[in-house]
Amino acid sequence: MSGRGSRITDEEINELVSKLQSLLPESRRRNTGRVSASKLLKETCSYIKSLHREVDDLSDRLSGLMVTMDSNSPQAEIIRSLLRS
Amino acid sequence: MQATKSFEQAFLKQMLLGIQLSAVSHGSGSLQERKSAIKLSADVAMAVARGSKKWTRGLIASLSKEEHNRSFLQFVLGKEFERPAKICHSSWKIPRSKNIVRRSLRFLSKRKSNIRAPNSSVLAGTLVEKRTQVLKRLVPGGQSMDAFSLLDETLDYATCLRAQVDVMQKLMTTLEASKHRADSDAQRPKEKFHLLAMVGSWYSTRKGLRKRLSKRPKLTL
Repeated sequence: MSGRGSRITDEEINELVSKLQSLLPESRRRNTGRVSASKLLKETCSYIKSLHREVDDLSDRLSGLMVTMDSNSPQAEIIRSLLRS
Repeated sequence: MQATKSFEQAFLKQMLLGIQLSAVSHGSGSLQERKSAIKLSADVAMAVARGSKKWTRGLIASLSKEEHNRSFLQFVLGKEFERPAKICHSSWKIPRSKNIVRRSLRFLSKRKSNIRAPNSSVLAGTLVEKRTQVLKRLVPGGQSMDAFSLLDETLDYATCLRAQVDVMQKLMTTLEASKHRADSDAQRPKEKFHLLAMVGSWYSTRKGLRKRLSKRPKLTL
């Protein structure tokens, strides 16, 4: 944002909004018309919440996988090789 | 918008290092403790891999509020963590914020009748205002952002979150596959090589990470 000056153009807002729109999973089905601000915000919030839930779930499952990992296990070897490469 | 490959690489490396540091893999601690440690590693890794954005600083700040996270953050971030946070003189942002919210609404909304209001009181209590507040709570550091920054940071944050999910998913698939492989001799290199390819050009970032961690005793997995 620095160096932009105090004026943010309509184009910049336009671009930001359409990028946000295309990020959302449901946007592919929708035709490319303008979506309302409230709908965009609602879907963005839903999307971020669902991503948070996925990270939480994956952390859960990864912790279950790693409990059985001693230094000789294949999982440990994979992690070491990922870090070495 | 997609996160770059170099971001995914840096994220994976940083997360695995973090997991090693927190000794999750040693099997000690409860399931809940291990899960929290993995989640912490993942979030710190995401912020570190992304670099300096408002949301990354906000994320580190909110993580450091919890006492039990501090030693991990200190270890991983080193000097950067000790540096006092910049005081944000945000008083100048407020007039600009009203203007930008008006213009964003003008662009987005099909109903134009409520745009002409000279002050922001018409926005208070509206659906847009309420949902903006929700978004501000979801995006780290969002509370102090003006409307444009919020949208900009949201875009960046959501992109990184998506990548975080994708990489963690791939890691899990790889580890699960190796677990099944342990029972038989059948080789399933596909997932592992996919991950390895992703971190292939990591050499340039490894020096930086190693330098930061070089003074600390090495933990063996």
